[in-house]
Amino acid sequence: MAHPLREAAAISGIGETAYTRGTPKSALALQLEASLAAIADAGLSPRDIDGVVPYFPGGGIAEDFIASLGLPDLKLSLFVPMGGATFVAAIQSAAMAVASGVCNHVLLAVGRTGYSGARVSTRLQQFPQFALAAEFEAPIGMFAPAQLYAQGARRHMELYGTTARHMAEVAVVTRQHAILNGNVVMNKPLTVEDHHASRMISDPFRLFDCSLESDGGAAIIISRSDRARDLKKPLVTIMGVAEGHPESPASIAQRPDLLEFGLVKSAPRAYEMAGVGPKDIDVAEIYDCFTFTVIRQLEILGFCKTGEGGPFVMDGRIGLGGDLPINTHGGLLSQGHVVGLNHVIELTRQLRGEAGRAQVKDAEVGLVTGYGDMGDGSIAILRRAA
Amino acid sequence: MSTAPATAPAPERPLPIPTRESQPHWDGMREGRFMLQHCSGCGKVRHYPRPVCPHCFSMESAFKEAPTGGAIHTWTVCHHPFNFFFKAAAPYIVALVDMDAGVRVNAQLRGISEADLKIGKRVRLGFEPVNKEVTLPFFVSD
Repeated sequence: MAHPLREAAAISGIGETAYTRGTPKSALALQLEASLAAIADAGLSPRDIDGVVPYFPGGGIAEDFIASLGLPDLKLSLFVPMGGATFVAAIQSAAMAVASGVCNHVLLAVGRTGYSGARVSTRLQQFPQFALAAEFEAPIGMFAPAQLYAQGARRHMELYGTTARHMAEVAVVTRQHAILNGNVVMNKPLTVEDHHASRMISDPFRLFDCSLESDGGAAIIISRSDRARDLKKPLVTIMGVAEGHPESPASIAQRPDLLEFGLVKSAPRAYEMAGVGPKDIDVAEIYDCFTFTVIRQLEILGFCKTGEGGPFVMDGRIGLGGDLPINTHGGLLSQGHVVGLNHVIELTRQLRGEAGRAQVKDAEVGLVTGYGDMGDGSIAILRRAA
Repeated sequence: MSTAPATAPAPERPLPIPTRESQPHWDGMREGRFMLQHCSGCGKVRHYPRPVCPHCFSMESAFKEAPTGGAIHTWTVCHHPFNFFFKAAAPYIVALVDMDAGVRVNAQLRGISEADLKIGKRVRLGFEPVNKEVTLPFFVSD
């Protein structure tokens, strides 16, 4: 029997602001601007929204959405505090809400001033889920995500021979895709040499292995599939979706295997719900807080075996025209850091056939991941419905 | 009328704020003893300190002194000082170590060159007082 959530819900609207470094707008203003764009994209009125999942912490809360958009009867207000895994996990929460009849149209929205406001890399200790890292690791000089994730990357390199060249390939291909998109922070070509010459942040991560601190907003709307079918845009349904939490979720250091993210648990569940496997995926938007994070997720997702992620990304395989085009919008590495909601937006565009110069030909089934909070992992598999 | 200071205040070192669970560990560090939490129900060791044993769910525990040897699990070399306090120390190596006691500890590894780092290399935990209250761990080659 098919899973009751399979294709019960759809992504009916998408919206984003310009991605920049420097904005006079507040995080809330960016969040609302993107929300209005998503509502218009769906052909809905703001009054139709009856569920909200704002990013937390930062930006607005449900009260801001009621007051700003005049929501007459908000029925669901949720936080999904999973860092970069938040929004793909929230697709599951929202799908449950619309499939069960609690809500009709749930808005997921983020606004960030990660460049012009509080810098992303310095906020770690404000998160309650990082209290143990703040107590035991920050005092010895270990607290930024680039430092905490670097140890996992180093271990992968030592065990499997993954190299800086492999990581550079992810950065270079992602930049090529960003240039095709246009609404991106980083719009100049990047070479492997540029990557290798960039300054070391936390070995093995160089500057161009790290995602951007940027300003921008993004939003999507989840609706029940039968309602979405009557809306403005081509129907993109949620075939499978899942969130996963690793062992020792608040401390990478104490995790039995540093390379076992939450995605190890969520990916098999999402494939099963969707009734598809890695071979069925036409395009993948992979959460790219760091280049290595992409390489390891490709292994966990079953596109290659553990240890083979480095060679897998080479030889054009992950570029447009390759076997598995990834991050066709430029990702967090080159487009902008809105905690991965831009990845969901791009996958929806790809499946609608709206991806412009970065369009993957005949893309029908695609996959998007979220990764955050020291290793939570979420995944959604979407399909262009007939 | 006040005037702005000529120079920014010196950056403060981030320090642990012990909790009711972790206080015995930090008290031990101050005394130069590596104290780890052991479940009183099943005897298993756990770190970082928590109120409940995830194996047998006992809420009773006791801290015992543990051996300070271990082997490198992985490492990073921190070049960019995300906190300006660490600017003078950068680049510094942070080694994640599989302690012989059965837990992991992350701490700066000193007196070794990057070229000599490898998984499994033996190291020993040392104690460095940073003020009257707080002593932090570091590693040296064994």
